[in-house]
Amino acid sequence: MRWVWVLAVVLTSTAGDVFSAKGMSERGEIEDFRPRGLARVVHYIVTHPMVLAGIICNAISFGAFLALLSVAQLSFAVPATASSYILKTLLAEFYLRERVDRRRWIGVALVSAGIILISI
Amino acid sequence: MTLKTLDKETRCAIKNAIFVVLIVFGNTVGNLMLAISMNQTPSISSVTVPNYFGAMLTNPFFLAGTFLSALSLLAQLTMYTWADLSYVLPVTASGYVVTAILSKFFLQEHVSMFRWIGVVIISFGVFFVAETPPDTKHVDATHPDAQQVEGVSQ
Repeated sequence: MRWVWVLAVVLTSTAGDVFSAKGMSERGEIEDFRPRGLARVVHYIVTHPMVLAGIICNAISFGAFLALLSVAQLSFAVPATASSYILKTLLAEFYLRERVDRRRWIGVALVSAGIILISI
Repeated sequence: MTLKTLDKETRCAIKNAIFVVLIVFGNTVGNLMLAISMNQTPSISSVTVPNYFGAMLTNPFFLAGTFLSALSLLAQLTMYTWADLSYVLPVTASGYVVTAILSKFFLQEHVSMFRWIGVVIISFGVFFVAETPPDTKHVDATHPDAQQVEGVSQ
């Protein structure tokens, strides 16, 4: 049962981050940080379907993570869901068309390995 | 001095650093405050539901923790407008390092040898990714706010 929750957390958090990044990157770089500019950013976030879908997916992911914690220990839940870094990076390269060079892959691998170590 | 007087590269580096700090600080300190507020709130089974939410919504740590978490999310979404997902995610993983240091020196928790090794490995990973240019894809140049991406390497 716990692997079902792990899968649910990984898939929803991946969808959440990829949709959020996709929706936000369609807007140009934000450079105006005065109150009116920030209000425009918030307006963009709450009216963009893809960004909203991303936020909802991340909220579901948070709920699924709590459900996972009710059937498994934190020291299992954290490293098991750290695999989502790999999946997110793959989608960043092939769906979001980012150029993930070797340094980024090494970085992602080290971060994932480190997360496993700090949680065992 | 405003950011506008600096050259584009320096401006980008400063902006990136500010946003990484906002995301990581909001997330780690926000979680810490939420954890403290949950310890101060009575267990949900021991009080009525209105009392439970009443205790939560009047707890200053809960309010501050929620505010910082929201700030972190907003900063992360903002950063996606100029930085790649594959840049933002590993770089903000430095939050794990901050949490270990906060637990050791602020909460006086015991941090095991394994954990410190993990912290060092994550730090190396963050340095590797931080070395790459934040934006490797062109944004839509027809959008009024769009900036042409320059100096894409690798």
